[in-house]
Amino acid sequence: MLFRVAAFEFRHQVRAPLFWAVTAIFFLLTFGFMASDQIHIGDTANVHKNAPFSIAQTHLIMGVFFIFAATAFVAGSVIRDDETGFGPIVHATPLAKPDYIYGRFLGAFAAAALSFAGVSIGLLAGALLPGLDPDTIGPFRFDAYGFSYFVMAGPVLFLSSAVFFAVATATRSMAWTFVAVVASVMIYAVAAVALGKPDLEPLLARWDPFGLFAFDVATRYWTADDRNTLLPALRGALLFNRLFCMSLGAAALGLALPFYRYDKSLDRGARRGPPRSSPPPLLSPALRARPNFDRRAAFGQLVARTGFDMGQVFRSPVFWIILGLGLANSAGSLWTVTDDGRYGGAVFPVTRILIPALESSFTIFSVVIAAYYAGELVWRDRDRRMHEVIDATPAPDWTFLVPKVLSVSLVLIATLLVSVAAAMLVQALKGWPHFQPGEYMLWYVLPNGVDLTILACLAIFGQVIAPNKFAGWGVMALYIIARFALPANGLEDGLYLFGAVNPVPLSDMNGQGRFWIGAWWDRLYWSAFCALLLTAAYLLWRRGVSGGLPSRLARGLRRLKGTPFWIAVASALVLSGSGGFIYHNTHVWNAYRTRQDDDRWTADYEKALLRYETVPQPVVVSAKLSVVIEPDRPRLVARGVYVLENDTGAPLREVHVRFDRELDVRALSVQGAWARKTYDRFNYRIFSFDSPMAPGERRSLSFETSLSERSFRNSRLTTRDLTGVVANGTFVNSFQILPIVGMTRDRLLTDRGKRRKYGLPAALHPPLLGDVASRSWSYLGHGTWSLSDITITTPADQTPVAPGHQVSDVVHGVWRTARFVTDRPILQFFSIQSARYSIARVRYKGVDFFVYHDPAHAMNAQRMLRALEVSLDYYQSNFSPYQFREARITEFPDYDQFAQSFAGVFPWSEGLGFIADYRDPNRIDLVTYVAAHEFAHQWWAHQLIGAEQQGATVLSETLAQYSALRVMRRLYGPDQVRRFLKYELDTYLRARGGEAAEELPLEKVEDQGYIHYRKGSLVMYRLADEIGEEAVNRALRSLLARFAFKTAPYPTALDLVAALRAQAPPDKQALITDLFEKITLYDLTAKQARSKRRADGRFDVAVTVSAHKHYANGAGVETPAPMNETVNIGLFTARPGDTDFSSRRVIAFGKRPIRSGDQTLRFVTSIAPTFAGIDPYNELIDRNADDNVVVVH
Amino acid sequence: MLIIEALSHTYDEGVKALDEVSLTIPKGMYGLLGPNGAGKSTLMRIVATLQTPTAGFVRFGDIDVLANPQALRRTLGYLPQDFGVYPRVSAMEMLDHLAVLKGIAGRRERKATVEGLLSQVNLWEHRSKSLAGFSGGMRQRFGIAQALIGAPSLIIVDEPTAGLDPEERNRFLNLLAEIGENVVVLLSTHIVEDVSDLCPSMAIICDGRIVGQGAPATMIEALAGRIWMKRVDKAELYALRASHQVISSRMFAGRTVVHVLADADPGPGFTQATGDLEDVYFSTLSQAPRPSHARAA
Repeated sequence: MLFRVAAFEFRHQVRAPLFWAVTAIFFLLTFGFMASDQIHIGDTANVHKNAPFSIAQTHLIMGVFFIFAATAFVAGSVIRDDETGFGPIVHATPLAKPDYIYGRFLGAFAAAALSFAGVSIGLLAGALLPGLDPDTIGPFRFDAYGFSYFVMAGPVLFLSSAVFFAVATATRSMAWTFVAVVASVMIYAVAAVALGKPDLEPLLARWDPFGLFAFDVATRYWTADDRNTLLPALRGALLFNRLFCMSLGAAALGLALPFYRYDKSLDRGARRGPPRSSPPPLLSPALRARPNFDRRAAFGQLVARTGFDMGQVFRSPVFWIILGLGLANSAGSLWTVTDDGRYGGAVFPVTRILIPALESSFTIFSVVIAAYYAGELVWRDRDRRMHEVIDATPAPDWTFLVPKVLSVSLVLIATLLVSVAAAMLVQALKGWPHFQPGEYMLWYVLPNGVDLTILACLAIFGQVIAPNKFAGWGVMALYIIARFALPANGLEDGLYLFGAVNPVPLSDMNGQGRFWIGAWWDRLYWSAFCALLLTAAYLLWRRGVSGGLPSRLARGLRRLKGTPFWIAVASALVLSGSGGFIYHNTHVWNAYRTRQDDDRWTADYEKALLRYETVPQPVVVSAKLSVVIEPDRPRLVARGVYVLENDTGAPLREVHVRFDRELDVRALSVQGAWARKTYDRFNYRIFSFDSPMAPGERRSLSFETSLSERSFRNSRLTTRDLTGVVANGTFVNSFQILPIVGMTRDRLLTDRGKRRKYGLPAALHPPLLGDVASRSWSYLGHGTWSLSDITITTPADQTPVAPGHQVSDVVHGVWRTARFVTDRPILQFFSIQSARYSIARVRYKGVDFFVYHDPAHAMNAQRMLRALEVSLDYYQSNFSPYQFREARITEFPDYDQFAQSFAGVFPWSEGLGFIADYRDPNRIDLVTYVAAHEFAHQWWAHQLIGAEQQGATVLSETLAQYSALRVMRRLYGPDQVRRFLKYELDTYLRARGGEAAEELPLEKVEDQGYIHYRKGSLVMYRLADEIGEEAVNRALRSLLARFAFKTAPYPTALDLVAALRAQAPPDKQALITDLFEKITLYDLTAKQARSKRRADGRFDVAVTVSAHKHYANGAGVETPAPMNETVNIGLFTARPGDTDFSSRRVIAFGKRPIRSGDQTLRFVTSIAPTFAGIDPYNELIDRNADDNVVVVH
Repeated sequence: MLIIEALSHTYDEGVKALDEVSLTIPKGMYGLLGPNGAGKSTLMRIVATLQTPTAGFVRFGDIDVLANPQALRRTLGYLPQDFGVYPRVSAMEMLDHLAVLKGIAGRRERKATVEGLLSQVNLWEHRSKSLAGFSGGMRQRFGIAQALIGAPSLIIVDEPTAGLDPEERNRFLNLLAEIGENVVVLLSTHIVEDVSDLCPSMAIICDGRIVGQGAPATMIEALAGRIWMKRVDKAELYALRASHQVISSRMFAGRTVVHVLADADPGPGFTQATGDLEDVYFSTLSQAPRPSHARAA
């Protein structure tokens, strides 16, 4: 009987539209993921799209998405009979309860499982599609599909089906069941974020019901090669997790039976009556109020209807649940948005960062509220079979539509206000009492209120034209898909992306800037469109028993007269007027460009011009500039003269001059040369000299450029409004505003897929390490060292900043002009800034340190100054003297998040550092780390710069990391540095798995951040530990002595390695090979440790460890290498890294020779250790750094 | 005076629900009697402005209902055959809300109207109770209360007594009788007693056509002496149906009581019966062409 019920249920389910819709959606999602290079699920760089790893991961993630669908299947099977009123008939049959319930479940679950096969089929079919980039598709692995379906997705499918079947059985309500689904997913998400700490991961891998952690732990350090060939082994935590998942599901099913009752009480709404009062006297009919239908009555109807509709929303528990979930979700987001970066840092909860957090975590719930209640309100009268009564009342037609729009809008604004209260509460709880209610209103409530209302209008319109509520929600689903799919496929114009509004980046320095203007034009445009939609909705409104859409259309057209007609006309006028104005801005005054246009342009640029890369060029030896910043226009005009010198040793016939794409070149001339060829599209010009430029000869290059923007542009994914020149916080670099001599590779396409798509070689490699020709120029281009003389004019209330010593500063009327002159050569790459700054300064050992910050951002200025002082001490005593008379940290608006090091000037985003919160002294001091890193670049880039070949960034970034770590160690001791390095190790190991091309050894790094920063830190720190800090610094000093401020030949990573080898003893030469020339990975494990009291009262301690070393190639394929080196072994009374750990907890610590394989090390100690470990501070690059310490028994 | 002329309606899917219906309905209670699916509800909805007929004409007083539905709504009270309730709304709130929609703008006069109506329909005690918890009879009384808001001059009541127990039905019909004095009350029902108890005039509708109309008493009189009754066994019934014009049969004390329409004694065992409205109804229906599968609308 059970199976007959199941079979019946299954047949019923697979015939229903839900089944086909869900199957189609999941098929299309994964099929699209395979077939399109625009849709990505998970992390797919350089891993085949159909790699076993990708297939397993996609199944896993889709399994979680599928929870909603699975719930619809299984919950429908148990609730359907109640909803259709068929329940009593079924219940009256002699069917046994378990047969009935579990039969239903089995049938529905089978349908869900079959539907989920759409995922597997989509992945399979997508990979078979002809015309795919063959490099992205690997060999077929049918076992991977089976494994993924049954092991990765299957248990989650079963678990979610079973649990929500039980919930549906208990609640008998689809709404409550979905509330439970959403709540579970939210709780899961919050818990995953809260608990997702490295030391909890082994635990989570076992008990995470969705298996995401189990999969992550099993595969986290997989290389591209592993991902392309391996499936996670079904053992250990993964096996345990899958079994746990199934048992949990079975337990939920067990609970479903007792929950199920045939006699469900329907009447939950009855309320107790009030105390009785005597009825009022009967009125004779003649005395009864007569209706009237004047304006006042109509207004009263509007207010009453709106209030009534809002009441319906506010009284519905679903609203409060969604609101609560939204608040719960945004609470997590609001609480964690102040986490700063990878290293456990934190920033203050300023309003500016809380608003984006709310927008990303809360407004999605408002969208759900808008869509859901649009459906509920439009269909309520019909759903409740109240429509005949209501429709027959003399209320005018518009009182049906307008109050619903108003009430949804007001409800949405109310929810936004609630979320603002939550944000302010977070600010209060975090001890940040600088509330900005005005900013919340202008930056958040108002714009989002309008945007959500626009969305609600679409939702209402969709419900009016749709034949039922579900189809109406389908309209919203289509809208959401379109909003993602269209821009991803090159359709990015805000004029047809419904509700699209220019983004408004927020900044404490610059507020909304001028960016709100475009956004509000967009809102006007879409509001007018919505007025048309609502007019149509009014005309098509179902009043009475009306027919299908065609007959309603005919009736609607007949009704298009009078007020609706004039509203339509006015809306159409506003729509076309604002649309025309927006079009003029986004297509005429500013170029309309999509991301694909930009990619194609970049590809064409490379095809046309990269061949000039090696054409010998003169260098800029000095630059005299006059820059006028007019923030209100906004415009920045640069006039100047370069002195060019031929340092090539041969006559030069031409000079190549290029400009940033956005830059308007007003004048350009080269002394004794004429523009032979101009590439207008690429802002690139080739000048031919009338008479060749002789070696050593100098000539001038004069120019005038203008960087400006008229009004606003179509600001979407990549193209965005000009953020460099703004009312307060102008920040541009020299490449954006000045001529660049010679062609280089900056800003070329790097994504391998895109490069192939546009017919370029998949990767553009720099010259190989050791190449001789490329030592003639640095990785910043042709000209390297030059002197500058920069005059900046800016509004009088702003402070301008440029490299060099400030020699004059004059205020003339409303303008302020300052001149900056360098007396030491600087790189031809610098920044110009201007803002209303407060300045913190200190003079230390003859150097002036400044922090230019927003008046509200004084929190860390002193910390920055102190970091500069400590850094100056370390770098001057260990490397060489600082070359400038001042160093300036300069804040810029949060339109970008980075810190950079120009000559003596370190622009630093207000989103980092300036608002860092150090009330907890245990936090890693990232402000000092960043300041020390950027300051170190004054040596490692601004004194010594690498040649344009592999390994160039080792000389700048790796050495800056090393320098900053030494400063950190000096300030905070080794413990904080070790915590820092643990983050570096984890980041490195994870990133190498996602490597897009090839992992290279450190000395050959090709601008790969995870290598030159993360691995660089680990390598240099270990090297200093092994050969001594002083030996490393001696090597660095020798490099500076040879190469500082020198031109060609520029140094390479080989010079660094040679200098280090020269300072290292013979037994460390192999180590240097491992660190710099190979990709070396260790696997160190402390297996067990025992201590035993001896007769003399001391303790015999035996620690069994295992050690393995591997060399990896660029694709991650490993070969074992014999290990024969010394590694730190430690005995402790606390676990290293725990809060109670300190140097007093160390019983024994020192290097012991370690070879490959298992071995037991013996110690005699006077105190019994409780923990023992091999490389306990994680200085080696250990693939599993969490098993290095064991408890001593 | 409500005048319906040559009203026809065919649904999108081709079902002909009304076929050239013409009626003239005076002040007072007017019964529209017909089996399920006869087209009663369609007719009621058209008059209540909820549906546009395929052809025909409806006039109420000076109002051309089809051309100017809004004007009719201002003087209409409508109790549909089937109506639900909003969740979490009390009778008082709902009635107040409907009063707003019906144009009772002033807060004070609305309160008076709502309270007066609640007490008139005997729901005063239950005014704060959620409508969802109302019994069927209470719900119908609430329905009549809302139909009375704004003192309408046309009241349409569609199948109001279906599903009510006898006591509730009585109470409800009394309520209707009270209000039906000065206005047009159009009552549709398939229960003969509703009409016989209340209505001075009536029409019988079957298959979308009016098959009989007049005052109940006149119509009963027309049948005088032509109704014959017999108690039979079940087996006999079948044969009887073939040989006689059986207008109704119902069970009484375990046997079947058959009414037959005949001008003379139809045979042994038959006794003459006093005709009542039910006999009128069933004889009218049985004389009408046999229904195809007309559908309720």
